[in-house]
Amino acid sequence: RSFTSQTDGESRLAQVLREKFPRASAIKVVDISGGCGAMYEIHIESEEFREKRTVQQHQMVNQALSEEIKHMHGLRIFTSAPK
Amino acid sequence: MRAAVRTGWRIGAAAALRGRAGRPLSQAAGESGGAEGGGGSGSREAVERLVREHPVVVFMKGSPAQPLCGFSNAVVQILRLHGVEDYRAHDVLQDPDLRQGIKNYSNWPTIPQVYLNGEFVGGCDILLQMHQNGDLVEELKKLGIRSALLDAEKDQEKK
Repeated sequence: RSFTSQTDGESRLAQVLREKFPRASAIKVVDISGGCGAMYEIHIESEEFREKRTVQQHQMVNQALSEEIKHMHGLRIFTSAPK
Repeated sequence: MRAAVRTGWRIGAAAALRGRAGRPLSQAAGESGGAEGGGGSGSREAVERLVREHPVVVFMKGSPAQPLCGFSNAVVQILRLHGVEDYRAHDVLQDPDLRQGIKNYSNWPTIPQVYLNGEFVGGCDILLQMHQNGDLVEELKKLGIRSALLDAEKDQEKK
């Protein structure tokens, strides 16, 4: 891709995640479908994930993005709590 | 219920135009879709029976011999690394009702899905993480399955 730092899809998803995870210390959304908005990779680090099993953390992200996910073909999620 | 069936049909028509690969996750968790209802292969009861069939059950695209998706392939390869070749794999591409039913059951929008002892563990990313941090060896041990990687380590120590 060129000099644009984010696609519209990436910005929108990051915005939704910022709203749904107010205590997040890091959020990164990457369109891994070559800019098509078909597949995303999501990285979130937040205190809200502490003490939760990975699958629960991922469920929280699925819930937060349930509307957006309907239009995707796939997504990858990586969650963690701050060290 | 009717609206969901209509939506399913519209999405089906659009998907037909895109071809098989072009199927969005629109029928993801939350939407009941037309797949459920009394005893179909995607019903809660049917899925429940499948996940309890064997200690290790995988819902994937394609088969272990021929995965049809990179993420499903990753799950197969990870299990193979641990010496787990005896498990139940269900190809959701062969059964649209099951494909939707399994997503409803686990409230999880994507395939592959891995179940250990009837419990949903996660998809490819989670399985990879478990493999990397040693959790998978532990979980397999709880099922009475000895990971092949333990023996591989033993061989290393002998050298």
